[in-house]
Amino acid sequence: MSTSQVEDREAHRPVLQLRMRVNDESVQLRCEPRTSLADALRKDLGLTGTHLSCEHGVCGACTVLIDGTPQRSCITLAASCDGARVTTIEGYADDAVMADLRQAFHTQHALQCGYCTPGMLCTARDIVLRLPGPDSERVRNELAGNICRCTGYVGIVNAIQLVLQHKQDGALPMPQSTTGLTSNPGLAQQATSEIQDWPSFAFDGVEQWLRVDRELDFAIPAQALWQRVADLALVARCLPGASISQLVGSRAIGEMQIRFGPMQAQFAMRAELSLQPALQQGEMRAEGSDRRSGTLVQTQMSYQVLSHATGSRLRYDLRFRLAGPLAQFSRNALVNDYVSEMSRIFGQNLQRADSAEAVAQLPAETPSLWRIVWRRVTRWLQG
Amino acid sequence: MKPVAFNWQRATDLPQALRARADGALCIAGGQSLGPMLNLRLVQPQSLLEVRQLAAMRATNLLQGRLRIGAAVTHAEIEDGVLPDTTQGMLRYVARNIAYRAIRNRGTLGGSLAHCDPAADWVNALTALGAQVILQNAKQERRLSMPEFVRGPFHTALQSDEMLLAVELPAFTTALRWGYYKICAKVGEFADAIGVVVSDPGLGWHCVLSGAIEARPLLVQGVTDLLQQPLPAAEVVRLRLGQALQEQLPNAEAVFVHRHVVALQRALMQCLAQPGGTADQAVTKKPESA
Repeated sequence: MSTSQVEDREAHRPVLQLRMRVNDESVQLRCEPRTSLADALRKDLGLTGTHLSCEHGVCGACTVLIDGTPQRSCITLAASCDGARVTTIEGYADDAVMADLRQAFHTQHALQCGYCTPGMLCTARDIVLRLPGPDSERVRNELAGNICRCTGYVGIVNAIQLVLQHKQDGALPMPQSTTGLTSNPGLAQQATSEIQDWPSFAFDGVEQWLRVDRELDFAIPAQALWQRVADLALVARCLPGASISQLVGSRAIGEMQIRFGPMQAQFAMRAELSLQPALQQGEMRAEGSDRRSGTLVQTQMSYQVLSHATGSRLRYDLRFRLAGPLAQFSRNALVNDYVSEMSRIFGQNLQRADSAEAVAQLPAETPSLWRIVWRRVTRWLQG
Repeated sequence: MKPVAFNWQRATDLPQALRARADGALCIAGGQSLGPMLNLRLVQPQSLLEVRQLAAMRATNLLQGRLRIGAAVTHAEIEDGVLPDTTQGMLRYVARNIAYRAIRNRGTLGGSLAHCDPAADWVNALTALGAQVILQNAKQERRLSMPEFVRGPFHTALQSDEMLLAVELPAFTTALRWGYYKICAKVGEFADAIGVVVSDPGLGWHCVLSGAIEARPLLVQGVTDLLQQPLPAAEVVRLRLGQALQEQLPNAEAVFVHRHVVALQRALMQCLAQPGGTADQAVTKKPESA
């Protein structure tokens, strides 16, 4: 054991560059990987309203909003909040619910020493926004993760109930999501309502989009093929690079990864499927964007299942449009080949997907640039 | 209360994450179990790999009645009903009673399983639901049943080059009934006893489980006849459950057995109070016999 070892470790300690949006302002931070969000907020940004007490996630004093939901800043690394939105107790100046809670905490004697109050207010605001008319027992249960050693909770529960009453009376303006603060109870709920609320896609000028139409033949009966292509989750599983994170009815939110040589894009997608089972016809519309490049993609695919000598045939007509930086890659022939290659893998996967086990074991194959280039070369050679 | 210095990287995709994992990185998702252990220096890693945002670990789907839940799905997402419900509300109920909302907003299903605290909710609930875990390394995917995966307290079958990708539930029918009761000193604390009962006659799956016994979840043997109605008198039920537990845990103290009998009995009553559909009302087909 020598001092030099310690010094070496100090010298080689990595430092991260992080960007966050804290209280609606963009900030840059330099900190060690081991720095907690609470320490970064308090020491680097001077936001000492976030209090630290137990530092292992039990007391709730350090609770702040991360991407709109209350979370513990003592057991969340600052590094893992790179790119996140954070709201501390200093960041509620324009928040009507918090203003009402502050007033209610004052009139109902909901604090004494004040140490738990920043975290308590963050949780209280979440209760008001997230829960429809909770009784006092539910409010107490929800407060179990915020420890107050002064008040005995009576004043805190009364204050929250008072604000809940104002909400019920319609006397409390609920914040808009455009304020920069998240008005909603949580990412998850936001996503669910998002998936249910978005209007159906209305695409213009589809006739002018890039078009790929193909026929894929299958060695299974038409009815069996129809069942597979009518299942949005299964279709996504068979489509190389696609994944679904949420599926509600005929709508899904997910991702589509495209790798094309050195180009990579990860499109955050939403998709909707409409089916006409009687005709064994379907149409999928999807839209998404790649956050890194800002490229937008829109696609519309209509398809039909037919009986065929091999068993069945899937005929589809895919149209798509790219807008933004990646659309500058105006090599339509290569893009067309890429889509053909995807189509080949998709057909192969769909053919294999005859049981849950088989679906689980589908290879994560994505179109390879090498194969596309090779096919073009051989095609040229063949003249 | 500061962690030791470590290296940190955010996984960009699954292959890269698996390489980093094979190089010895410790996965962190929500960090709601690992975070406290880092702060207390119970864990002193060389390097951490953040996986919570990986699409491959968020992917959730329902295929032929089997719900596959991505390991990085949070407790709060399950609580809020973002996933399709194939368990007659059991997943949401269990999720809602895990720790506190601020923890549930960040903590993940897979993180909780990999951490494998014997008193944790998912370790016990998913065992009773007959779930499988899906593990992946650079070469292959493998599936384990929960009893195969959970080796003991804080000890799983996860290898040093593997990641826990997802959990998959069997294709339950609407006949599924369940009961889940935990005894905690305070709301949100780790449980002193967990009783779980899951019964799906449509699938032929019946499980009575005693959890938070500071060991692997205990599948209580020889008591599934209690799932038939009408339930015998309370004293008889307690006697039967007590005998079963004492047989399987011969060294347990009387107060320990009593606490777990109470949790089991309340879970049993909750289960039998549910209406339960019939097997032929199945939401989904039974899986083809393999």
